[in-house]
Amino acid sequence: MNKSYAEQFYYLMKLGRVFELRAKEEYMKGNIGGFLHLAIGEEAVHVGSVLGFGKGDVFVHYREHVYALAKGIEPKYIMAELFGKITGVSKGKGGSMHLYDPKFNFYGGNAIVGAYIPHAVGTAFARKYMGDTTGVLVAFGDGATNSGNFFESINTASKWEVPVLFLCENNYYAIGTRIDRVSPFVDLYKKAKDYMPAKQVDGMNIFEVFDAVKKAKEYIESEGKPYFIEALTYRYEPHSITDTGDYRSPRELKIAKEKDPIENLKAIALREGLLTEDYIKFVDDKVKQIVEDAVEFAISSPEPPLEELYKDVFCEVCIDVVS
Amino acid sequence: MLYREALNKALDEMMSRDSSVVLLGEDIGFYGGNYKVTEGLYARYGEKRVIDTPIAENTIVGTAIGMAIGGLRPVAEIMTVNFSLIAFDQIVNQLAKIRYMSGGKITLPMVIRMPQGVAKQLAAQHSQSLERLFASIPGLRVLVASDATTAYYGLKFAISTDDPVIFLEHLLLYPEKMEIEEEKHFSPYRARIKKEGEGITIISYLKMLHDTLKAVPTIEKELDTTCEVIDLCSINPLDVETISKSVKKTKRLVVITEEPKTGSYANEILNKVLEEVFYELDAPPLKIGAEDVPTPYNRTLELASIPTPEKIAKQIIIWGRKHGI
Amino acid sequence: MEYKITMPQLTDTMETGKIVRWLKKEGDFVEENEPILEVETDKAVMEVPSFRSGVLKEILVEEGEEVPVGTQIAIVQTEIEKKEETTPKETKEEKEEITISIPQESQEEGQKLPEGTASPSAKRLARELGIDIKIYQEKGLLPIPAHEKDIKELFYKNFFDKDALELIKRYSLSLEEIVKHLKKEKITKKDVLEFIQENNIPQILPISDIQLKVIENLKKSTSIPVFHIYEQIKTGNLPKVEDITLTVWIIKILGDTMQNHYRTRVKLEENIYKIYPNSNICIAVAIEEELFMPVIKKVNKKTLREIALELKILKEKAQSKRLSLDDITGSTFSISNLGMFDILSFDAIIPPQRVGIVAIGTQKRGKTKVTFSFDHRVINGREAALFVDEFKKRFTDTDYLNNLKEEPLNKDLSQS
Repeated sequence: MNKSYAEQFYYLMKLGRVFELRAKEEYMKGNIGGFLHLAIGEEAVHVGSVLGFGKGDVFVHYREHVYALAKGIEPKYIMAELFGKITGVSKGKGGSMHLYDPKFNFYGGNAIVGAYIPHAVGTAFARKYMGDTTGVLVAFGDGATNSGNFFESINTASKWEVPVLFLCENNYYAIGTRIDRVSPFVDLYKKAKDYMPAKQVDGMNIFEVFDAVKKAKEYIESEGKPYFIEALTYRYEPHSITDTGDYRSPRELKIAKEKDPIENLKAIALREGLLTEDYIKFVDDKVKQIVEDAVEFAISSPEPPLEELYKDVFCEVCIDVVS
Repeated sequence: MLYREALNKALDEMMSRDSSVVLLGEDIGFYGGNYKVTEGLYARYGEKRVIDTPIAENTIVGTAIGMAIGGLRPVAEIMTVNFSLIAFDQIVNQLAKIRYMSGGKITLPMVIRMPQGVAKQLAAQHSQSLERLFASIPGLRVLVASDATTAYYGLKFAISTDDPVIFLEHLLLYPEKMEIEEEKHFSPYRARIKKEGEGITIISYLKMLHDTLKAVPTIEKELDTTCEVIDLCSINPLDVETISKSVKKTKRLVVITEEPKTGSYANEILNKVLEEVFYELDAPPLKIGAEDVPTPYNRTLELASIPTPEKIAKQIIIWGRKHGI
Repeated sequence: MEYKITMPQLTDTMETGKIVRWLKKEGDFVEENEPILEVETDKAVMEVPSFRSGVLKEILVEEGEEVPVGTQIAIVQTEIEKKEETTPKETKEEKEEITISIPQESQEEGQKLPEGTASPSAKRLARELGIDIKIYQEKGLLPIPAHEKDIKELFYKNFFDKDALELIKRYSLSLEEIVKHLKKEKITKKDVLEFIQENNIPQILPISDIQLKVIENLKKSTSIPVFHIYEQIKTGNLPKVEDITLTVWIIKILGDTMQNHYRTRVKLEENIYKIYPNSNICIAVAIEEELFMPVIKKVNKKTLREIALELKILKEKAQSKRLSLDDITGSTFSISNLGMFDILSFDAIIPPQRVGIVAIGTQKRGKTKVTFSFDHRVINGREAALFVDEFKKRFTDTDYLNNLKEEPLNKDLSQS
């Protein structure tokens, strides 16, 4: 593992954490509305998978701020979107759950559990059809593996032989229901193993996630076939801001927090000499400034003008005749 | 030429013109399509462009959305409109909204083709019309192909435009013989006047249009007037202008759909048109539609549940006499 | 077993037939040879029987439709007992024409609307014309609810007297247009007539189906190469016999003359001449502006009285449009007499499948002008000249004429 990756890992995970904590604060102030799903505790999976996957399309769920940051979308545009401003990545029309930017191969941000898994299959088909061997990454939670979308998609991707990496973030809870209450087994990779190679990794360790995803990417692109990874992780925050989170015991939370992915990375990297205390301090200061700037940008950005209401419903340049 | 052959011709032309056009659906490839609309295309374009899918409508639409994101122009066939309900999350929550939610950054140039309507004794789960559902979802274009001309040009347009299009066909029209009238510039969102008249404006589409045209001679004879029959062509957007212009002339409006009357798309037509022409009306508008029941299996009951040429004629004649024609 | 009924060939010139009425409906039992429908040919309306007994399973051609001879028009299911229940086949929706029954009184009872009720457009028009709908409705001069046409009628009635309105209806004129044109307070029938004449407005009269057939046949006649012979016959000296008109004399004498000239008894078909032994003559009969051509057969064998009686019966049949197939087929020569109209002489058109016609003018000073037209494809000038010459001479042959006069009425005929 080289130094530059470790630095990237730390920078993005820290940026994600600070960004989300600040978003939570702005939500409490009333600057952000609707749902706000935080990924605090899951940063290793989000950052590790995006960096491990490298080039390629990414489809993810509604807990996607860190994914979007890792993909390279500027924090200020994401924060502005959370604030519902015209400068937001989706012009203030999508909000926290709908960050889209094809420039960064980032396709949401989708608020229906599992519904976008077939989109990833379709896009992988399209890329392959057009001679592009680059794979597609789709990430979803443990709850989604109980849905028809999931089963239909692994069946279709496997039969069509398209390069999709199915990444399941198993944080054990679908909102307030623990996975063993709704799934016959909790090792979720078993649900896919008859269709494609499937493996389980420690999602609290970014090095492990990174390596597994990197290898999977090589497999899907060389074979042109799908692959499944289950990353075991944990979200420290409730499902969303409006959720009390009281279905989890303080003891369970305490144990999970002891495995904090950022602290985990720091410990390993300092021990291995991949990061220095100076660098860490430098990053901590820097992300704080970046997030402050992002909030400042979001606050000072204008609201979408009223005519924006009718824009982007349909194609505005299409000609309504055919011959 | 048959109605379904007009659709096939449109698909074939668009596929040969643009290699990013692909078809996907149940039974459409090797088998040739349950209603033979895609017949011969598998042999011509191969399994990579005429893709057989599992019986998983949600995934048919879902993967098609992905294909559109990835740069293709997929044309998804849902075997009948009834099964589109399984894919409604994809259609309503995904297809219709992604463009808007992404601030216009993602376009989904794709078509979902499907036949609807009451055929013959297919019973309730296979005999319905759902245009009202699609019409009420912002972000979807909804076209209805009532004859070979609108089938051919309409489908070509649906494939070539960047908006997602719900393209509705009718089960009973597939084997009907009709010809494509050549048009230099076809406007898919304009209603088409099928027959000019002075006394009553009748709006219809799909099979009901044909039933209406059969009923018209009797109506005209009995009421001693002439009917202007308009093929709607586009459900969304609705061509209020063409309809209003006609109603201003005839002062009387009838809307005929195959949907059950309660909540049918006819209500939307009436509402939008009445806002324009209320003071011009010489009779309360008449809505003709199916009964508010699930479609029965028994043939007699089935025919009793939907408008037929006889019932259309009778209802319009009674209405006309009551309101001063 | 299914027995197919096709459009029958009912007359020699028939190419298509129009179904006037089905005497049985789908599901009805029909006896062998029982009439099943009425067909209108180019000549008359005729009943057509089913040649098998069975259930009328399906009517393939609806009333009012016209189809070529030989077209399948119905299916009779044979080998079915009369009592057996038959389920009507569901073919309604495939049919082009639709049949509906509408209750006569469609106005809903018991729902009395208040005075002042009118359609939005009626209200708007009334306002423009200064009509108070409520007042007129209270007087019973406007219906409740009032529609646009009621307001218009009320408004324009003030301008017209009753006769004028009737005339306007007959000519389908626009009330607005006349009011605008005449700019008068009260418009009379005379005003309207002047309007009609000034603008040369035609009255529309629909052409009957039978007349359309005649027009079609006449069109065919124009393709026949025709020549004419103009003559004058002495008709003043014919013996006086009660009930025997000049037409009857001419029929008889023409029939006798035809016996000596076989080409007048010919029917031209493709590549052959068919020569018939008897003199069968058709007579043009006009009934209410429609033309019929009933045939008197075997004129050569009939007496003057027999011919007179037969002509009377045929005219009556034509009057009631009940001429049978037999009544209108099989003639080779025709007569058209316009003598009663004080016409000196005229040319007549040869009806299709006939070789000639004689047109008879008015008797003037004991003489009558006749014009013969011949189909040149059958009769040459010489033969025609000899034929006309003999016909003419017979009118001066006293013995022959007296002989005809003496012949008694045939017994069979007198009984019928």
